[in-house]
Order: sequence, then structure tokens, then C-alpha cells
Amino acid sequence: MTTNQDVIIEINQLSKHFGDYQALNDVNLTVKQGEVLALLGPNGAGKTTTINCLLGFLKPDNGQVRIAGVNPQQNVVNARKNLAYIPEQVALYPRLSGLENLVYFSKVAKVEKSEQEFKALLEQVALPAHAFNKPVNSYSKGMRQKVGIAIAIAKQAKALILDEPTSGLDPSASYEFSQLIQQLAKQGVAILMATHDLFRAQEDAHSVAILNQGRLVDYLNFEQIQTVQLESVYLKHIKAEPSC
Amino acid sequence: MLMITMKKEWLDSWRQGHALWISLIALMLLLIACVTSWQSFQVQSATKSAVAQSERDRWLEQGEKGPHSAAHYGVYVLKPELPLAMVDPGLRDFQGNVLRLEAHKRNDTLFRPIQDTIPMQRFGSLSPSFVLQILLPLLIILVGYPAFSGEREQGTLKQLLASGCSSIHLFIAKSAALFSVAAIVLIPLFAFLLYSSISEQHAQVLRSALYALSYLVYLSTWCVMVVAISCWLSTARRTLIVLLALWAISCLLIPKIAMTHASNQYPIESGQAFQSKLESEVYTPERQQAIAQFKQETLTTYGVSSTDDLPFDWSGAQLQFGEQYSDKVFDRLFGARSEQLNAQFQYYQSTALLSPFIAIQTISMGLAGSDHTHHHNFEVAAEKYRRVMQQTLNFNQRDHAHKATSHYVADKQLWQAIPEFVYQPPSFSLMSGHYLVALCALIGWLLFSGILGSYSLYLLRKEVQR
Repeated sequence: MTTNQDVIIEINQLSKHFGDYQALNDVNLTVKQGEVLALLGPNGAGKTTTINCLLGFLKPDNGQVRIAGVNPQQNVVNARKNLAYIPEQVALYPRLSGLENLVYFSKVAKVEKSEQEFKALLEQVALPAHAFNKPVNSYSKGMRQKVGIAIAIAKQAKALILDEPTSGLDPSASYEFSQLIQQLAKQGVAILMATHDLFRAQEDAHSVAILNQGRLVDYLNFEQIQTVQLESVYLKHIKAEPSC
Repeated sequence: MLMITMKKEWLDSWRQGHALWISLIALMLLLIACVTSWQSFQVQSATKSAVAQSERDRWLEQGEKGPHSAAHYGVYVLKPELPLAMVDPGLRDFQGNVLRLEAHKRNDTLFRPIQDTIPMQRFGSLSPSFVLQILLPLLIILVGYPAFSGEREQGTLKQLLASGCSSIHLFIAKSAALFSVAAIVLIPLFAFLLYSSISEQHAQVLRSALYALSYLVYLSTWCVMVVAISCWLSTARRTLIVLLALWAISCLLIPKIAMTHASNQYPIESGQAFQSKLESEVYTPERQQAIAQFKQETLTTYGVSSTDDLPFDWSGAQLQFGEQYSDKVFDRLFGARSEQLNAQFQYYQSTALLSPFIAIQTISMGLAGSDHTHHHNFEVAAEKYRRVMQQTLNFNQRDHAHKATSHYVADKQLWQAIPEFVYQPPSFSLMSGHYLVALCALIGWLLFSGILGSYSLYLLRKEVQR
């Protein structure tokens, strides 16, 4: 059983337009503690706009978002303290090593740990030990994602936002990534994952939201996900409302 | 946060390599400039000291002769330099450092170092001030241009801000990291200043401290401006182009235009034309009339009809009258020229509002005592000494020559009665009023860079929170 206190990510009647283009239209979603929500939708559906509103990078026209009860529009610093964000291309300093990137991003977020503890985090995300001190520009995309996850774990954020996390990963790296997500969810982190990867969404998500042309067109809970073929549900909605 | 980001910036720059090489080259240039300036200063100081002593000996040992012959024999006085002139030679090479003091004439300074240079040297000299004023801002630009725009391009800026990092803290940390790169290059200079001010003259400690402070403000201004523009513009490449253009306009174009405009606005005659004018205005029929009138008044005062009957030597009195008459002409002509030069200086100084380079250049030369204002101060002191010297010699002629049975000659006792010329450059607190515009402009530029930084941060916040 969940209560309102379990809700970490709240999206209420969220609307956003860019000129004449309505990017989001009255979207309502919640992600509870330990829940993985997969946000599906074609390009331009409003997934990244939703994420940018959650990060406080975009100001909603209507509605509001809250991270652990904090509205980023009112207190962006506190809201960001409660969340970690991993973009499609994890942005790291290419000349610094994975360990140095982890230490820097963690310390900037005011996370204090010993070097051994930071190394343990990299071990936890299964980054090969020989890569700890190598510059990130020699890393594969999967390894960069792992450093990104380690940064998120180090921050001990209540919410984790992922934007196309498995795009470009090979199946093995994608599986490893999925395991890490499950591990974080078990630790109670609320995860919102914008993705095109229907397979991973069906495998990993506890709930699925489908966006199309800025509208929330369907929402599936865990039981529904287990009983339907996600791909056919997704395609039904997308074909029903073709993008102009 | 500040230290962490500074450390990361250092590490990133170090591994990038080009920042390290640029800093090393700047450091090397500054060291070479300091060492060569130090050697040159030592040689010049030793030479000046030896020449001053030999000149004094020459004056004292000139033998017995008429006082007016001694007045024409004259003396050479040397302009001493402040230790800071080692790091900022300013206009030294164009001003000369020896002045001949003699009867009837007010001379310009001689032996300008620029006359002794070989043609290759005329393309420019490498002084520490050149490195500090022109090359260090370039170093700051080359190291700091990707501070924000580079992060924006590689996506780490969004990642950092999403981590909860405050944009203001990031701005301060990046500016401080950039400043620390420039400060490392400054360390040998500050050590050099400390050494020279302690070893040379204790009174120069204030000038050295102000000198160091001024450069810290100047370089801080550049650091904040570079980070602000990097924060403002979207790509590192665009940032670099804009900053290089800003550097060229500020350090090369505006000073050149300002100098040319100042010379056109307040023109001065060439040295040759000025000398001709002096000759023509000193030796006029009016002068002869004035001397004739003075003679008549003197004869009347003493109730005699011939100068031979005066109770003193008329030639001495006439010479002194002629000197005083000439002095008025000198005061008028040299004063007018000095006013023009001062107007040029003030005009140039006022353009410091358009370029931080002009602000620091003016302050730096002022503190080093190598500008026109200090040179003028020396010339005025030397002229005052010349007038006292001429008066002493003329009065001696006037008071003693008539008693001599044959041609009157003076001896070493008279030469010793004229003290050696000792010039002490004025303290900076006395001179500071001359540089008020540049001082205000330098502080204004620092404030402006802060405002630019605040505006860039405002734009950044708008950019990430549309």
C-alpha cells in the first residue's frame, strides 16, 4: 500500500508550449518510492520537455511538478538535491577519469565520501577496475552510463530521471544497466525513464505512461503491463494520433 | 565547492596541455623580460652613478676661471630611475636621461636610449610590463574561453546544474581558477618587486605594493570578463573569436587611435622647431631694450653716469638680469609645451574608460616613474637647480670682479659652493592626483566585468529555465 508520502515525482496538469507548438497538454503523472515509470512516446511527444520541467530547466505554462514535495520553480536548488539525472549521452569531462568525474560531480552535489567509498560505487555499477583511472574519452557508452549511475547512487537522490538510457547500448550493456536500475528501485529510488526501448520498458518498468503530441494517451500499471503486449498498445496509440 | 571546481579546472587544463604550454611560455617570457630588465637597470644605475661622480669631479676640478666661463662650462645632471622602471620602462627610451645645465639656455634631455638601438630592436622591446599588459590577457583568453561555452557544448553544464550546483558558485570558481593560472605567472614578478623594493629604496615599497595590486585588479578584470563572455555565448569557438576581437580592440586598436587623436588634438612642435622658436623669442630687440632700461635704472639708483663707477661689477648684474629675462621666456614656452603634453596625457588617460589596457598602462608608468609627468618633474627640478647655479655664479661675478686688478677668476671654493644636484623622485601619494581617471577607470572596469558576469548569469538562468 502506498500513501501520498510515498510519491516522489509529481506531475500535475502540466502544460507547456513553444510558440504555436503545444509540447505538453495537461499531463498528470506520479512516481512513487521504489517505482520505475517508463515514459514512452515518439519523437516530439513531450518526454524531454517533461524531464526539463522536472529538472527546473523549463518553466511550465500551466500546472506544476514536484520532486519529493519541492517545486523546482520555487526552489530549484532543493528540488535538484533530491534528484539525479542521466541524459542519453552522459556528459562527463573527457580528460578526467571515471573516478575523478564521480568524485567531482558528487562533491559539487555536496556528497562527502572517501576515495575507497567512491571506488566501491564504481565496483557496484560493475565498471571494470582497470578503467577507474583511465580518461573517460577512452570509455564505451555503456561504461559512461555506469559512471552516470554511480554519480546518481552517490548522491543518494530520492528520484532518478533517465533520458533514453539504453539508446545505443549493446544487449549485454543494456541488461547490465537494467540490473542497476532494478537495484536502485529496490533501494527505494523513484525512477522516471523516458525511452523508445519497449522491451526494456516491459521488462523493467512498474508502470508505463504513453505520451503522444504532448498528451498522456495511456497509462498502464504493473498488472496491466504483465498482461498486454506493450508494443501493440504503443503502436495502437501512435497510429491513432499520427503526428502532423 | 570553490576549491573542488578550481582543482578540477586545473586538472582538466593540465591534461588538455595547451594551457600548460601557454602558461609556461608566458612565464618564460616574463622571466626573460625581468632578467634582461634587471641587468639593463643594474648597468644603467652603475653607469649613471659613475658618470654623476665623474661629472661632479669635472666641475670641482675645472680649475680657476671666470664665473661666467664656468657657467658656460656647465654641468650634466642625470635622471635617476625608480626600481619599478625595470618592470615598466614606459617612455624612458624616448625621453632621455641626461640634461646639460648651462648659461642662457634651457636644454632638452639628451641621450635617449632609442637613439642607441639597432634597427632590429626598434620593432619592439620585451619588457615585463608588455608581458603583463598585453600577453597575459591573451593567455587568460586562450586558457579561459571554454570555461562555460565548452561545458555547454559537451553537455556537462546541464549535468552540473542538474546536480544542484549553483551557477553563481560555478562562475566564481571558474573565474578564480582562471585567475590562479595568471597569478602563477605573476609570482616571479612579485618576488622580483619585493626584492627590488627592499634592496633598493624602502620608500618604494608603497609604489611596489600599489603596482602589484593594480595588476591583480587588471588581470581579475580580464578573468571575470572572459568567464562572463564564455557564459554568455553558446559555443567555445564563437567565444574565442569574440574575446580575441575584444583583446585586439582593447590592447592594440583603441590605444593607437587614442594616441593619434591626442597628438592631433593637442599638437606640439618638433624639437628643431621648438629650439628655433626659443632662440628667436629669447634674443629679441625687446630684450636689448629691457637690458638698456635696467642699465639706466641702475645708473640712476647709484647716481653714476658710467657702469665703471658702480660699486659692483656691471657684467655680473647684467648677466643675471639677462638670465631672469630668458627664464620668463623659458617658463612661457616650456610651460606651453608642457601644458600640451599634459593635455595629451590627460586625453589619453580619459580613454581608459574605453580600454582597461590604457588604465593599467597609465597607472603602471606612473608608479614606475617612467611617464611624462615624472619626467617633467625632473626637468623642473633640474631647471630650478640651473637657475640657482647661474645666480650664484653671476652674483659672484657681480660682487667680486670689480675688485680684481686684472681679469677676475674664481676657484674651487666657488665651485664647491654650488651643491651637487640631487634629485629625489616625488612620492606617489603626491603624484596620485594625476592618475585619478585611470585609477577610477581600472576600478570601473572591474565593476563592469562583475556586472557583465551578473548579466551573463541572468542569461544563463533564462537559458536553462525557459
